[in-house]
Amino acid sequence: MTRPATILLALVVVLGLAAPWLAPNPYDHQFRDMASASPQPGFPMGTDDLGRDRLSRLLYATRVSVLLAPSAATISVLLALLFSALAALPSRLVAWTLSLANGIFLSLPWIFLFIILRSKLSLNTDPLVSVTLTFALMGVAGWAIPGRAFTASIVEMKDAGWLLQARAAGLRPWRIATAHAWPHLWSLALVQFRILIPAYVLSEASLGLLGLGVADPMPSWGNLLRDLQHPDVVQANPWTLAPLALLVLVMICLESLTPSRKAAL
Amino acid sequence: MTPVGRESTFASRLAPGRLALGFLTFIATILIGGFAAAALVRYSPGFDVDEDVLNPHLSPATIAARHAQREVENGLPRFYLRYLARAAHGDFGKSEAFNLPVSELLRHRASISAGLLVRGTLGGLALGSLLAWLSVWPRRLTLELSAVATSGLLLAIPPAVLALFFFFREWPLWLAVALALLPRVFGTARSILEDFYSSPALLAARARGLGSARLAITYVLGPAAPQLAALAGVAVVLAFGSLIPIEGLCDVPGIGQLALKGALARDLPLLSALGLIITSLVAGVQWMGDLTR
Repeated sequence: MTRPATILLALVVVLGLAAPWLAPNPYDHQFRDMASASPQPGFPMGTDDLGRDRLSRLLYATRVSVLLAPSAATISVLLALLFSALAALPSRLVAWTLSLANGIFLSLPWIFLFIILRSKLSLNTDPLVSVTLTFALMGVAGWAIPGRAFTASIVEMKDAGWLLQARAAGLRPWRIATAHAWPHLWSLALVQFRILIPAYVLSEASLGLLGLGVADPMPSWGNLLRDLQHPDVVQANPWTLAPLALLVLVMICLESLTPSRKAAL
Repeated sequence: MTPVGRESTFASRLAPGRLALGFLTFIATILIGGFAAAALVRYSPGFDVDEDVLNPHLSPATIAARHAQREVENGLPRFYLRYLARAAHGDFGKSEAFNLPVSELLRHRASISAGLLVRGTLGGLALGSLLAWLSVWPRRLTLELSAVATSGLLLAIPPAVLALFFFFREWPLWLAVALALLPRVFGTARSILEDFYSSPALLAARARGLGSARLAITYVLGPAAPQLAALAGVAVVLAFGSLIPIEGLCDVPGIGQLALKGALARDLPLLSALGLIITSLVAGVQWMGDLTR
């Protein structure tokens, strides 16, 4: 199951990266006399209600979603590592503050943060700003989940026998951290990274569907899903389901590569 | 671990020091969440607009004196304390978009969201746990694969898309909340059940010839109760998170739709109140969950 999933994911990533070359038209170009057109030569998936080529928009949306979700996951994991490193300090106050910060970030429902962010942005916000802010906020808000795992791991390490042995052998703290603790944390970081990617892909889709994610005209899987709110459009052009099909396919591939389902909750 | 071992771990969680620290964290989370909410309102556009400037009956000196007094009163620390004191009495200010007190809006819509939340959470917990049980207990590969595939497919679909499908089919929306919750419950419930299923205590009891029902109750459900209770807490939080897109897209007049309308109308007093309430709710549920975990 792992190999087909990896191959499929690689294919989707390549499609996204090659969007500028593969897309028959610019994603934001409006063919004003071709609004809501059915699939036809030149527009294999038809056009949307503003006359934009659906296939081109899907390819560019793939690029946005598959590249920026890992970027947001990287931000979360790096922030989590940075904050959790404080757990190594021998201070109870630091440990409590860390646990408090973790609790606060876990208590704030992500979607609500995006609503507040959206209410602060002007209606004509540049799409590039909105896409950067959306994924950056996802990355920042999401540090608490891997942070909890890193903190628990570091606290466990503090009582580990190998650490006492390394200290007794006269190793410097920096050497212990880089040569002994880091390899353990690195593997945990990779696991957390892989858990966060599908979570962020799905979050972006939900936000986009609500109009709170990436702003038009830049396409993302989320804002392409907004067509699903009009069943008549879906019935007239089943290609409107293509973003959902691609999203489900990618999510299934990512899930099958996700190491621990228990940690994902 | 034996049931007795589990109980002692649970008891240690309820030790006074740990309980106090958990409560302190809970209060601090609410206070900081409240501070963030108050800061949002305080620095919202138009908050500083001084109507006295347009009053022709006031001298420039009076206007300046009143402005200075307002500056002091509306400084963030004082404003925050006033906001918290009012919020503690259920007064969250007035919604700009609806021109009604926020508390009144919340009162009207809370019952609708609560109904959806309770039925959705219970449904999600029941379906997720049932699927987890079927994938672990009978030890049949086909059942296990079917359960994993169902959960995997539901996890891959955004809850809002699921809700839209139910909405257009005119099926009950709580079922969409339950199905959105199912894979999240399934993953954790399955891990918990697997741990207990392979425990030495259960294997020994099975060797002694205990019946399936007795084994399940004594060696799986009983000892796993604290963890399953924690899972129920997390499920409430997850279901609440899915209410905003589901109510917003499917035109359900609940708190989720209120939050979305507030966001689209840039109604900061309303958003701040909702932020404070949701933070308190989630922090409370997580605290309870941490105690039982």
